[in-house]
Amino acid sequence: MPRKRSSAATPPVPPLFKTEETHPQIAALQAVAASGDWAAVMACLEGLSPHDRDFAVRYLADVEGVEGLLEAAVEEDPHDPLLRTLLADRYVHIGWAIRSAHRAEHVSREQFLQLHDWLRRAEQILIEVCAEHPTFALAWEVRLTTAMGLELGHSEARRRYARLRSLDPHRFTAQKALLQQLCPKWRGTWADAHAFATECSESAPVGSPNGAVVALAHIEHWLELDPPQKDTYMKSAVVRDALRRAAARSVRHPEHREDFRSVGAHNAFALAFLLGEHEEDAAVHLRVIGNRASGAPWDYLDDPVTYFTYFRDAALAAG
Amino acid sequence: MSAQIDTTAQDAPEGAVTTGLAALEPVAHLVGSTFVDGVPVLYAHRSAEQDGQRTAGLFFRVGSADETLATSGITHLVEHLALHGRQLSDGHHNGVTAESYTLFHVRGSDEEVVAYLNTVCAALQDLPVQRLEVEKQVLRTEAQRRAGGPFRPMRQWRYGAQTYGLAGYDELGARRLGEDDVRAWARTRFTRDNAVLFVTGGALPDGLDLSLPSGSRMPAPVPSSALPRTPAFFRGEDGNVVLDAVVERSAAAVVLAQVAARALFHDVREEGGYSYTADADYSRRDASHATFTLYADALPQQQSAVVGGMIDTVARLRLGKIEQSELDSARAQLLKGLDAPDLVSGLLPTYALDVLLDHPVKAPEVSRAELEAVTVEDLRRVATDVWSDALLQVPGRAGAEWAGLAAAPQCSESAVEGIRYPRVDDPDVALVIGLAGVSLTTPHGAATVRFDECQLLSKRPDGARTLVGVDGFHVVVEPTLHVGLGAPAVSQGIDARVPDHLVVDLPPRDPQEVPQPRPAPPAPPKERSRLGRWVDQRLDESVKTLNQVFFVIVALGVLVVLRAEPQGSALVAVLGTWALVQGAAGLAWWLVARRRRQLRAAGRR
Repeated sequence: MPRKRSSAATPPVPPLFKTEETHPQIAALQAVAASGDWAAVMACLEGLSPHDRDFAVRYLADVEGVEGLLEAAVEEDPHDPLLRTLLADRYVHIGWAIRSAHRAEHVSREQFLQLHDWLRRAEQILIEVCAEHPTFALAWEVRLTTAMGLELGHSEARRRYARLRSLDPHRFTAQKALLQQLCPKWRGTWADAHAFATECSESAPVGSPNGAVVALAHIEHWLELDPPQKDTYMKSAVVRDALRRAAARSVRHPEHREDFRSVGAHNAFALAFLLGEHEEDAAVHLRVIGNRASGAPWDYLDDPVTYFTYFRDAALAAG
Repeated sequence: MSAQIDTTAQDAPEGAVTTGLAALEPVAHLVGSTFVDGVPVLYAHRSAEQDGQRTAGLFFRVGSADETLATSGITHLVEHLALHGRQLSDGHHNGVTAESYTLFHVRGSDEEVVAYLNTVCAALQDLPVQRLEVEKQVLRTEAQRRAGGPFRPMRQWRYGAQTYGLAGYDELGARRLGEDDVRAWARTRFTRDNAVLFVTGGALPDGLDLSLPSGSRMPAPVPSSALPRTPAFFRGEDGNVVLDAVVERSAAAVVLAQVAARALFHDVREEGGYSYTADADYSRRDASHATFTLYADALPQQQSAVVGGMIDTVARLRLGKIEQSELDSARAQLLKGLDAPDLVSGLLPTYALDVLLDHPVKAPEVSRAELEAVTVEDLRRVATDVWSDALLQVPGRAGAEWAGLAAAPQCSESAVEGIRYPRVDDPDVALVIGLAGVSLTTPHGAATVRFDECQLLSKRPDGARTLVGVDGFHVVVEPTLHVGLGAPAVSQGIDARVPDHLVVDLPPRDPQEVPQPRPAPPAPPKERSRLGRWVDQRLDESVKTLNQVFFVIVALGVLVVLRAEPQGSALVAVLGTWALVQGAAGLAWWLVARRRRQLRAAGRR
């Protein structure tokens, strides 16, 4: 991590980190959900491209208090897979908020019990949804997160991902979820995590954002390192080349068409290149990003706003 | 494993229940019946045997589920003794001790069949009990061969240490059984009124002598339960995932077993290669119920996927879509079984068992019609029943609460009151011996066996004891592991409170098998309280100071005495007083040092 420079240059536009700020359509969708008008929510979702829909739908779980509305809706329509999955996803979100994003050693026993309690509620809904609608991919995707939080084990996580992949082979949000499980913090290995990321990148059609999983895997790896490896890891030619290759196949590829997933993918590449001080590479992504930052992976840093601004200015000046 | 055709599935019309040979009325066109020496006999009207060979089976309505843990193995012993001396040249024969029946089975020429049956009946009337100890040894060898396996714990957890749960235990009771016990069991259970014989191959062969004592038909054992809630799970050993449930017997349940076997095989073998074996089974338990089982093996690194896969398979069967093609294909296979060229011979054992268990007999055409009537909706209903009664054995840490199953009881409801004997290497664990029973208490709960519910007390010459309760909980008493637990405590506290007929003496163990306390890790010396440390320090310092002063005074005293000054007597008095003070301080120091040694010793445990 480079030291903060004392440059006084104030960014012309402050960066936005929340997806609902960078994607007004998602904010609109959340507003509709908060009103409990599920028919309107469905209509909004229907109006989106499949990729955008898969991306946006997970943000409904962020809406405060939406669980009450969803419980009422599910009571009225107990067989609807989407409503039930949204409710389960909201339960997952509530559980994870209680757990907090801290590493396991900083989470109290009581927090774990509550997390598991919410995850079990979600999981039991999802077991039923997957049984009744085995091709409903969203439910399998949320089950990746419940499997991780409930510590069901790697083979079960991979089984769920395999079911999902058979329905939707390149689901970016699901790949990001499984990557977490494969990292050592969830009892995985770096070898598994990087192999999975590479496979996500290489198997996806060119121009799709999945290559960013490679960048995310390296950022996760870098986070776990201690100096002096931490200072050199992202600068290594091996990592740099892997990032360049993945970026060239995905968001830097001429066939890339921007969708909701693109901002997060550019941000992942931008941070990964910046951590390795490859400012020219980062600048390519930062020019696309503008002020549209993303929560992940920037929120791994202590002060995302300052770092984002500093990095962006430095990279754009250099690149 | 595979599903057997249950040609006598449950749903008999109201009022159609007839018992004894009258129950054969629906198959009277296929099966003849008579009595030979008072034993009901079933035979096929027409012979389809091509090679002059017959099959015969003599059933008795007694099995392992009729025993108690303290008599476990007695039926098996009778079966072995009755077959002693038979040679393979007598035809292919065998004895089977099942849970609710015992079967003597033979295939051979008329002469061989008759000779076998006559000898078995004669032997049952006059068992070669002089062979008892040898046969006990044979039973133990047989038990070793089938020891372990994932299905035995299923029985223990579902039924406890009685009725159908006994199939989950070693036949320990056999060790304490004497000649009289075995004779009495044979005289009351292996009677003509508690038997049914079937013989294939048309009219009965000549020369049958089935003389057996008279008695009465024994009712089927009433199943016990050790599961307060279902669906439930328990953690088993690595490598196996087993789910079972007790369901009402029905054609739909038979079909579901076939459908489930294929679905599970697809989900955990074909899809991800998580398992090698994946299968389902439907087995009649008693007249009205069957045990439905799903099984899959797993490598340790794949087992969470096998658990997840099995839970999803069952969820799909009860909640999701069962394709009509799945039903049709399973049904076709079962119907094929009903087209066997010599169906009646194949069905005779089932009919004989029905007669024995007082269950209505069903004609093949009725079974066929029932199979043909099964719908996808019926399968779904049975799958729902399977889930609501499910007991799941899962390997690994994660358990199955996440899938909505309750943990089967890990601890007894309470511990007995009594004298505590803490474990030498873990003071948080203690054996408690009370007037009401014995408990092993841990910070997470207790295992308790109450004397009034004790099923078995096994004794080792080295003083070890194991008590097994009716609910399947057991308490192991190892005198080497508990502080103060001597032979008197064991004999007066435990042995004296368990009646002799529940006691089994086990042979001596290899001394290496006697458990020893775990060596403690090199722990830091036990922390004392701050006050304790302060007192120690002050005492140390005081004793040192007193010693220094004492030596100074002694030196002075010697000088004074040498000079023989008149002050000498006063100094001697001072010295005496000082010696007393020094003695008291020394005693205090010694007491403190002894306490420290004890604490260090405790820290090493």
